[in-house]
Amino acid sequence: MTGKLASRIIIITGATKGIGREACLALAREGAKVVATGRDEKGGLETAALVSDLGGQCLYLRHDIRSEDDWRNVFAKTIERFGAPHGLVNNAGIFFVKPLADTTEEDFDNIYEINVEGTFLGVRQAFQSFAASKTQGVIVNVSSLMGQVGFPNAIAYCATKGAITAMTKAAAMEGAAMTPRVRVNSLHPGVIWTPMITGTFGGDKALSDAFADDTPLKMIGLPEYMADAITFLISDDSAYITGAELTADGGRGAD
Amino acid sequence: MQKPESERELAGKVAIVTGASRGIGKAVAAKFARNGASVVITGRNAEAGAAVAREIAGDGHDAIFVRADQGSDADWTAVLAHAQEAFGRVDILVANAGLSNNVPAAQMELAQFRELNRINMKGPFLGLKHCVAAMRKHGDGGSVVLMSSIVGMVGVPGYVHYSAAKGGLRLMAKAAALELGAEKIRVNSVHPGMIRTDMTAMFDEKVMALRLPLGKFGHPDDIANAVLFLASNRGKFITGTQLVIDGGWTAQ
Repeated sequence: MTGKLASRIIIITGATKGIGREACLALAREGAKVVATGRDEKGGLETAALVSDLGGQCLYLRHDIRSEDDWRNVFAKTIERFGAPHGLVNNAGIFFVKPLADTTEEDFDNIYEINVEGTFLGVRQAFQSFAASKTQGVIVNVSSLMGQVGFPNAIAYCATKGAITAMTKAAAMEGAAMTPRVRVNSLHPGVIWTPMITGTFGGDKALSDAFADDTPLKMIGLPEYMADAITFLISDDSAYITGAELTADGGRGAD
Repeated sequence: MQKPESERELAGKVAIVTGASRGIGKAVAAKFARNGASVVITGRNAEAGAAVAREIAGDGHDAIFVRADQGSDADWTAVLAHAQEAFGRVDILVANAGLSNNVPAAQMELAQFRELNRINMKGPFLGLKHCVAAMRKHGDGGSVVLMSSIVGMVGVPGYVHYSAAKGGLRLMAKAAALELGAEKIRVNSVHPGMIRTDMTAMFDEKVMALRLPLGKFGHPDDIANAVLFLASNRGKFITGTQLVIDGGWTAQ
């Protein structure tokens, strides 16, 4: 396929549904060879099939981002199938809403290990891979609007997303000192109509209308908008951008 | 030195300050005590922590030391039990304890990353949870200060793990501020830049200060002043904010 990402090899975590799946489709439309990873094999294979339907190439790999072995396997299998990767989208993550008093240490550890350590392990693996293959790589860490502003009953989630926001900047400074130079940015989705949201709050139209009404642009956030933002940050259109926070939230954060 | 009673703005308040055996935490604990608070000092170094408590108590203030690892839930249970037993209530938490080291991400072991975040990020979460439960017992509200860093806002190579923790605290404070505001429990983050402490001993001030608009490192007391302001009634309309004290570092 031709496009601004022709022959680029990009790994996307959490690509079995939601934003990750749409990112695979958008990146493939621009010609990238995509590796869709995640724990849900059925969803992952569906994503791969959807990319194939577009005429793109997509490899699904089972991946628990907490596992160092899984990370090594994902990069090894990517290299085996397509070659050394050019980009990583650290998209996988979990969300829960719970008051402080009900949030247990186990809850905190679980969301921290997935959202923070999982993202760190991706950055580490990508840095090692880019250095070994002398690739001018790019990383997009999917944080959240809740990694920029607070939200009640989401202290643990906000902490993990705030961690990603700040970690991205430190990683960007390290990447900028690499040869060739590696860019690292964070994306901050607002309320996006994905299984993460509908699974937490319900999926009826009244709710999506309420979210839209609560958003300055009066739109419900769709995963494809995030996919467009990810494509921008992965592509050379953002060649001068690193360590930045791209908020894509219909204006909620400015409200 | 004891201030006149009219100037003791934390009179009657009980404060827990973690990591108070040295550096910024010690300065905060001492300033709180001079301003009338009863202070509970915690830390992992029993000898140094007990010495700080003795020093403060020797000046005629209320101070106890409890040996505690900020990242341990069981230790927090013990800290709160000691605080209740000694002083009967908790009004202020300063989650200050933290460790720091410079390791490039590509070379970092997961165990290193996890241990730093256990103490620096999970620790304040556990402290927040325990102290909010204590503040709810009296219902008079409270003030929580989470000690973040300018590294929670800007990137420095070698500090991906430290940035994760400090950026985590920045948002933990904001989320907690929204959740707890109705109960008059205020939560803010403080972001020191280069402050002259053991943690920054490896940096050459002459070289680093060239990057600082104010031309020198800060003193622990510069941070203690800000923490007192946020903890006291003067900060009563301030919650969910990020107070940067960095000699201008992040303005550039």
